Amino acid sequence: MSKSEPRIGVYVCHCGLNIGAVVDVAAVAQYAQTLPGVVVSRESTYTCSDNGQRSIQEDIENHNLSRVVVASCSPRMHGDTFMKTCETAGLNPYLFEMVNIREQCSWVHTDKEQATEKAKDLVRMAVAKVRLLEPLEKQKSAVNKAALVIGGGVAGIFSALYLANAGIKTYVVEKKPSIGGHMAQLDKTFPTLDCSLCILSPRMADIGKHENIELITYADIENISGYAGNFQVTVKSNPRYVIKENCRLCGVCAEKCPISLPDEFNMGLKKRKAVYIPFPQAVPNYYLIDAGHCLHITKGGCMLCQKNCPNDAIDFEETEAVRELNVGAIIVATGFELYDATQKKEYGYGRYPNVITNMDFERWVSADGPTHGKVVRPSDGAPPQRIGFIQCVGSRDEKEGAVYCSRICCMATVKQATMLREKYPSAEIYVYYTDMRTPGKGFEEFYQRGREHGIVFIRGKPGEIEEDDNHNLLIVSEDTDSGLILRNTLDLVVLACGLRPPEALEELAQKLHLSRSPDGFIMEAHPKLRPAETSISGVFLTGCVQFPKDIPDTVAQSGGAAAMAAALLTKDEIELEPVRAAVDEELCIGCGLCEENCDYGAIEVKKTEEGMKAQVIEVACQGCGVCAASCPQKAVTVRHFTDGQLLAQVTAALEPEVIV
Amino acid sequence: MKKKEIINMDELDPQFKYEIASQPGGEHILKCVQCATCSSGCPVASVSDRFNPRKIIRMAVLGLKDTVLREDFVWYCAACYTCSERCPQDVRIPDLMAAVRNIAVKEGCIHPAYKEQGRLIGELGRLYEVTEFENEKREKLGLPKVREKNEEIAEIYSCTGVGKVVL
Repeated sequence: MSKSEPRIGVYVCHCGLNIGAVVDVAAVAQYAQTLPGVVVSRESTYTCSDNGQRSIQEDIENHNLSRVVVASCSPRMHGDTFMKTCETAGLNPYLFEMVNIREQCSWVHTDKEQATEKAKDLVRMAVAKVRLLEPLEKQKSAVNKAALVIGGGVAGIFSALYLANAGIKTYVVEKKPSIGGHMAQLDKTFPTLDCSLCILSPRMADIGKHENIELITYADIENISGYAGNFQVTVKSNPRYVIKENCRLCGVCAEKCPISLPDEFNMGLKKRKAVYIPFPQAVPNYYLIDAGHCLHITKGGCMLCQKNCPNDAIDFEETEAVRELNVGAIIVATGFELYDATQKKEYGYGRYPNVITNMDFERWVSADGPTHGKVVRPSDGAPPQRIGFIQCVGSRDEKEGAVYCSRICCMATVKQATMLREKYPSAEIYVYYTDMRTPGKGFEEFYQRGREHGIVFIRGKPGEIEEDDNHNLLIVSEDTDSGLILRNTLDLVVLACGLRPPEALEELAQKLHLSRSPDGFIMEAHPKLRPAETSISGVFLTGCVQFPKDIPDTVAQSGGAAAMAAALLTKDEIELEPVRAAVDEELCIGCGLCEENCDYGAIEVKKTEEGMKAQVIEVACQGCGVCAASCPQKAVTVRHFTDGQLLAQVTAALEPEVIV
Repeated sequence: MKKKEIINMDELDPQFKYEIASQPGGEHILKCVQCATCSSGCPVASVSDRFNPRKIIRMAVLGLKDTVLREDFVWYCAACYTCSERCPQDVRIPDLMAAVRNIAVKEGCIHPAYKEQGRLIGELGRLYEVTEFENEKREKLGLPKVREKNEEIAEIYSCTGVGKVVL
């Protein structure tokens, strides 16, 4: 090497007993001292503490260190911490290498001797790599001071309002014709029994008229590219065939429309027309035509709505509109899907008319529902006198693919049972449960009140529901508290269906490069400390897209996500990671494999004077290394992870004697 | 009124649950959340309060090894697999019952009915005794006589060690 021999400092961390209980930290530090180029090697109880960091900084000054290796936890945990330590002491932060001897050593091994040997191997590899590291400089990029919120349920509504109230231009994109989400479908909320729409619809209206919010409904996200501070999002809005300014909500169009369809907002319990408004409080508040079912659009002719509209609001010429949004931050708030109860065949949902889901119940009990709020047996319209609720339908069910508890169903059932008790004071109400979970402010009190109102909670999950000729429902279950096997004949059974990640989440997660947890929901950046952030910088999370949660928790997380997004959007510029791909044009043959493989559209083959050559779009590159791995000419390298640096690490792993 | 017996937990066998979990079929015992889906649909439980799969799992997890092995209820499972179909935690109860029976047999706690069947097969080669009456009937139909005893089975019992268990 022509440059002067590097002067390396190695710091081996005990992490209390996390590492120290398994790995002989002193032995590893002693061993590191023997490695070529290592000037100083120390052990420390907590390297991340002020003391630990100061010791590194003093060594950089006193020993004139040119490289630093810290053997401790994961780079994700404290990589940034130690890079800043180096930077503060005047050392380029990219001349630092981290070794994970906790998650990848002490936490997964029990044999102390072998774990210590492995820690030595890992340190030797890092020392071999750190010698070859090059200083890198961070670039700066201007921040586009607008935000995009995907999803217009309670999560999206609140994060958008928080951002807009902070003076940030915010786009809200909603797939359905109105915002409001599942909360708009609920009749009341637990444990206060507030009318759901009474508390939500004023906020929905705020979204519709806020000067900093642009609402795009009935629209899909087509494409997302870019990076924190500078995302480009393509949004396609579906045509509504109704002119907003002209529609006066008179409803003549729907009266005349000959097509009758199940009303999705009412869970199919009511009918709507092909020209309709999703629900009276919808935002935006004007009609639309369901193109998939409109007689004129599908077959031609009809046009009864247009002929009868007194205000010329129907416009069959409308086409889909594609827009490009430039935003600096994205909040994902796409919510959940209810478990499909027809999958649980033994409970007969879809076959037995008197078995309904918890969401069906919300619509039956709602003033805008099929019976104007009267809960009846769907089979004969009679008021039910013996009602059962079954908990954990599609939750805590490994066979149905959801091991997790959906968190809200226990309280939703207590709420629904309480509402039934008010409507039918003499009815017998039974709740079949496995465990009642009421951890929330006022929740246990609400549950207790339900018991005091005579709701009978039976600990034991029924195996199946049978039906007699009169559509009465027969349930045999064990009451584990008494050990008795009970047979119960009921008028109505409500299934407390769990929450699932929406099917369309797969596609959105791919577009945003987001990871998902084993349960299918979006993985947060850290389960405890960064619940509203994702692994992708500039993309934030709120609501049930991260995990099932109730309305108060959703609103709190929306505040968190908005605050995180605002912290990014109030900066003028952000620093970009310099760990990116670079092309050696002399070696490049312009084959285009890199361009084909890049997930981020960050490398392109372009015509130059020397022929076709790949060029990196620096700001878009995430440094993933797919291009470098796929290049047959080894013309692409990723800085900080060059072939030379990685091979030195591999050589050190395989041939310790070469290094020592 | 009979005084209720209090069970001292330090006299129980906390290893019993692991012993079951290490047997083929018993692997999922610790997944059970006691939801009672099994007992609610069990056709045996509906006719006999001696058998309750949920309670057997609970007793096993608590370490009531003697009770589980020496009482006869684990032998009641008809292996209809209704519970297995419905169990949300995939505990595979009939397989678990088989695993518990295997342990019971190893500990010398075989149900007398099974023991008697084993003896009959070992002696006669079949589950029922063939008498002169049956053989006369067979003769009339032109069928050969059936041996009253079967020594080959005894040899199989001795080679495989089954004899030691059932006899």
